[in-house]
Amino acid sequence: METAVKLGFSLAGIIIMLFLPPYLDGIARRVKARLQYRRGPPLSQTWYDLRKLFGMPSVKPTKKALFTWAPYIALASAISAALLLPYGNVVPVDFGYNLVVFFYVVLMVSVFLMLAGLTVQNAFSHLGSAREMQVILTVEPLIAILYGVLAYNSGSLDLYTIMTGLHLTPSLVLTYILLAYALYVESGFVPFDIAEAEQEVIGGPLSEYSGRLLGVFYYAIYIKRFALLWFFISLLTLPWIGPIGTPEKAALVLALQFVLTVAFYPIIAALEATNARLRIDHVVKMNTRAFFAGLIILAMAFMGW
Amino acid sequence: MAESASYTEKLKRWDRFKAEKFSKKAPVTTPYPFIDIEKPPEYRGIPHINPEKCIGCGACVNACPPDALIMEWDKEHGVKRLTYNAARCIRCARCIEVCPTGAMEPTTRFEVATDNKEDLVEVVEHKLAYCEECGEYLDFTERQIEYVRNILPKDVFDAYALEDRIKLTQEEKMRRTVIKLRETEGNVYPAFMLVRETKDDGGEE
Amino acid sequence: MVNTKDLEAHFEFECKACENGRCAKADVNSILSERKGLRDFYEAFKEHIKGCKRMTYGQYQFVIDREVLPEAVLWWHNHPEFKETHLSTAVGTDERPLNGHFVYMPFLNVQVEFANEPENYWVFLRTYLLADDPSFPSVAEKLPAALWIEREVKDLLGFKPVNHPDPRRLILPEDWPEGVYPLRKDMDYRHSPITEPKVEFKEKPEDTTLVPMGPAHMGIEEPAHFRLFVKGEEIVDVDYRGFYSHRGIEKTGEGRLTYNQVLFLAERICGICGYQHSVSYAMAVERLADVDIPDRARYIRTLLLELERIHNHLLWVGIAAHMVGYDTGFMHAWRIREPVMWLVERLTGNRKQYGMNIVGGVRRDILDYRKEEILKVVKQIREGTKTFLDVALNTNTFIKRAEGVGILPYKVAKAYSVLGPTARASGRKIDVRKDQAVKTATAYNEIDFKVPVYKEGDVLARVLVRMDELFESLWMVEQLIDQMPGGDIMVPIGKLPEYEEALGFTEAHRGEVVHYVMTGEKNKVYRWKVRAPTYNNLPAVPEMLKGYHVADAPLIIASIDPCYSCTERVQFVDVNTGKVKVLTEAEFNELSIKYKGVF
Ligand code: SF4
Ligand code: SF4
Repeated sequence: METAVKLGFSLAGIIIMLFLPPYLDGIARRVKARLQYRRGPPLSQTWYDLRKLFGMPSVKPTKKALFTWAPYIALASAISAALLLPYGNVVPVDFGYNLVVFFYVVLMVSVFLMLAGLTVQNAFSHLGSAREMQVILTVEPLIAILYGVLAYNSGSLDLYTIMTGLHLTPSLVLTYILLAYALYVESGFVPFDIAEAEQEVIGGPLSEYSGRLLGVFYYAIYIKRFALLWFFISLLTLPWIGPIGTPEKAALVLALQFVLTVAFYPIIAALEATNARLRIDHVVKMNTRAFFAGLIILAMAFMGW
Repeated sequence: MAESASYTEKLKRWDRFKAEKFSKKAPVTTPYPFIDIEKPPEYRGIPHINPEKCIGCGACVNACPPDALIMEWDKEHGVKRLTYNAARCIRCARCIEVCPTGAMEPTTRFEVATDNKEDLVEVVEHKLAYCEECGEYLDFTERQIEYVRNILPKDVFDAYALEDRIKLTQEEKMRRTVIKLRETEGNVYPAFMLVRETKDDGGEE
Repeated sequence: MVNTKDLEAHFEFECKACENGRCAKADVNSILSERKGLRDFYEAFKEHIKGCKRMTYGQYQFVIDREVLPEAVLWWHNHPEFKETHLSTAVGTDERPLNGHFVYMPFLNVQVEFANEPENYWVFLRTYLLADDPSFPSVAEKLPAALWIEREVKDLLGFKPVNHPDPRRLILPEDWPEGVYPLRKDMDYRHSPITEPKVEFKEKPEDTTLVPMGPAHMGIEEPAHFRLFVKGEEIVDVDYRGFYSHRGIEKTGEGRLTYNQVLFLAERICGICGYQHSVSYAMAVERLADVDIPDRARYIRTLLLELERIHNHLLWVGIAAHMVGYDTGFMHAWRIREPVMWLVERLTGNRKQYGMNIVGGVRRDILDYRKEEILKVVKQIREGTKTFLDVALNTNTFIKRAEGVGILPYKVAKAYSVLGPTARASGRKIDVRKDQAVKTATAYNEIDFKVPVYKEGDVLARVLVRMDELFESLWMVEQLIDQMPGGDIMVPIGKLPEYEEALGFTEAHRGEVVHYVMTGEKNKVYRWKVRAPTYNNLPAVPEMLKGYHVADAPLIIASIDPCYSCTERVQFVDVNTGKVKVLTEAEFNELSIKYKGVF
């Protein structure tokens, strides 16, 4: 019984993780369209786009194997990141030390995006990759620190244990705020979509990609964004609802996670719609400031605040 | 007059928001290719040649800036062909202004995209008048001559004896002039003038 | 280079203008005393001036020796009193069929005093060049504003600017053979030869990377090729190659069409500021035929010009927002703009390419009931734009991107003869609507409006200048509706005088548009020269880009509101058979393999 329930939740998690992300993008498009007084595309438009891309062959400008493999590795990383998260009270793939693995696989998506851009002879790809690198280099230390606060606060490196073991301190509240910022940056939403900026570097690392490979990259990015958001939502909900004993309660929690994720996306979309893209030096500056703020929070956490 | 007043009325009442059934403020976009868009009555769409009215005078061809209208003579078959090509047309409506018979009709059509280029072309063929004397085809169409007959005052006709000469080819006219000249030896002037005048009249209308 | 002495030896120029009694050669004194500065110029260059005349109201022409060309141009451009005088552009004409010489004629917009309508004027400096040696001393050496102008006449007419600092090709494509000059009269407008392409790009400076923005790039709507030399993300140097949309309009207009047909061609030079071109051209022809068009026609033209400005500024601010990823701003700006398009569609019959003008007036009258419509739309736009600005100027990220970026100092702006809002954002107080408003085809001299000027010279200042102008335009439309006189809307022109020249101009939303027309026989146009404002603004863009980020480049380029097709006006398509050479796939592949290393 126990395993069947577990399997059921894992399956639900996998289905959510595979099918929801493009719909989330569809929601974002609709919300943006409404803010711009447009009608907007149907909710499944992103799926239609992906289906079309998957059905088309890719033009390969280089013989390097990495060019072909990078999107798939990025997709695998994104999927594994999503599988490390709790759905209800079940974590589909559990190694222990999940937090570290999660940090690592999410980073992999960006890294392979960056490497893919460097495989081709294209100034825009290189510029985009260089920007992606700068963003990663400045935001990842911040995220590492914040994860450190979380781990210290709960005394564990396992994601599920962290989420059930957090206790409310001032430093935790600050961590949440900073984490929201850091995850937003890492997701690459406007105004932080600098690496893929269409008007400036024509899609950056993606500029030489087309057809199926481009579709796979997009899919990977959508899943990564979903994983980061799901992670944040889980952090927001799981610690405060008490122990989950019964499958019914777990189902309720899953439903809550799901609803909150869907509800958060319009907020993100609204933020995207009302901002212009920043320049890389602005972002680096902001990230550095946030990093020092993160250090202070870490110090606070150590002092038990 | 009554008709033009009602047109103005129509203009006044035309309202895009109603025409496109905008009820709410947003969204402002429309699912365009799937719905019909109504253009205001003033809109300059592609022109259309009414073959009933056209006399084949070519005034529109002369006025058309991008050569969207072309006139061709096919003397073997005795036709004059007026071709309108919407792909070249810039919708300036100059042809409509200059057409003497109102054969060029304005429309509010603007959707001319097609996968068959022939859909864009309108052809009006006119029978050329032929010379009663030698059977050769003239430069003018029958309708043109008809039109000239209708608009020119009677006395002009009489003054230049057009009735006899209007349906003759250039060569025939010259031949006749020469004959006339011979007849009226010593009085060259009037006969010379006659030739010039007829030519001009026919050419313009 | 031959000097004037040689020139004079076979110089038999007959001034045809005298015959029409318009040439004031006989009474130089009265001409010279008409405007301030003319006499000083005459005194300064007495020995080199071969003649002078008034072409039409407020347009003066001096025939000068070519040796003193740079001095004469600089004398005007750097005039200590007339601060904002600038080199507008130059016309090169093949007058060999008329008098056996080429003509090179720079002209300047002389601003005696800002907005002093009857005092400001245009000065044309006509020089004759030998048919077998069309060389002249380069002005560009000392005045960057002449850089492109001289490269253009070199390309199209085969003139030789001696000591030109950058004598590369400007307009003609790479595969155009040497020694074939399209604008010479002995060249047929259907002729389009091709040879091996020769690419002349600027050398890449040491330690930089090349970022090619263009020929087709997301951030530029039309084909243009900016080669950015960058260190990291910072732009060190820029090379520009444009004129990919050269359509040969001038040549077609000169070869085939009558003066009224050219008008419709003129309107199609640009998809955005078409009416400005149409009015400028019509004005040039009306000026040289010396007719005053009816007041009502002038008011209707002005009304449409201002409506065009309104929607163009909204369009532009939308694009600027789009360039920095602020799509909501983009969509809203365009939403606010749309009612203007609908309104104009009802006034003229089309959203763009109004087709309203005819030489001598306008074609459709503005019926009375439409006035209400116009006022309604004006009100709507004013409110809409206010809200839009409230939101956009309070969007931090947007301001962050626009402020302090792409600065164009006043000095550079003046040296390049930058025009329009770009110039006014850098502190240049110029506007032909105010400067030269008398006896034009418009009614700007009878209405009240302000010309906003900012000193900062950055992108934000350009946004603000345009938005201020937009509100002025709305106010102008209201006045125009209020004061609209009755009467006719056109006067017939009939036959044009032969071999007369005149200039028509308007202040488009990008700056001053000038059309120079010289008539030929039988109501045809002998020479038609169009200069869009982007032609003067674009050479200054590399100056604005240096030192900023690659990320800023699209915004900076967009900030001058470049319009490549207007600037480049001029591929030859056989208009009679419509033949264009189309490459087959095999040919195309072959070509791409052949030029792999080049592009
Ligand atoms: S509308 Fe203008 S372009 Fe079209 S056929 Fe008539 S005259 Fe020619
Ligand atoms: S001007 Fe009118 S009547 Fe004459 S050919 Fe054209 S359409 Fe026919």
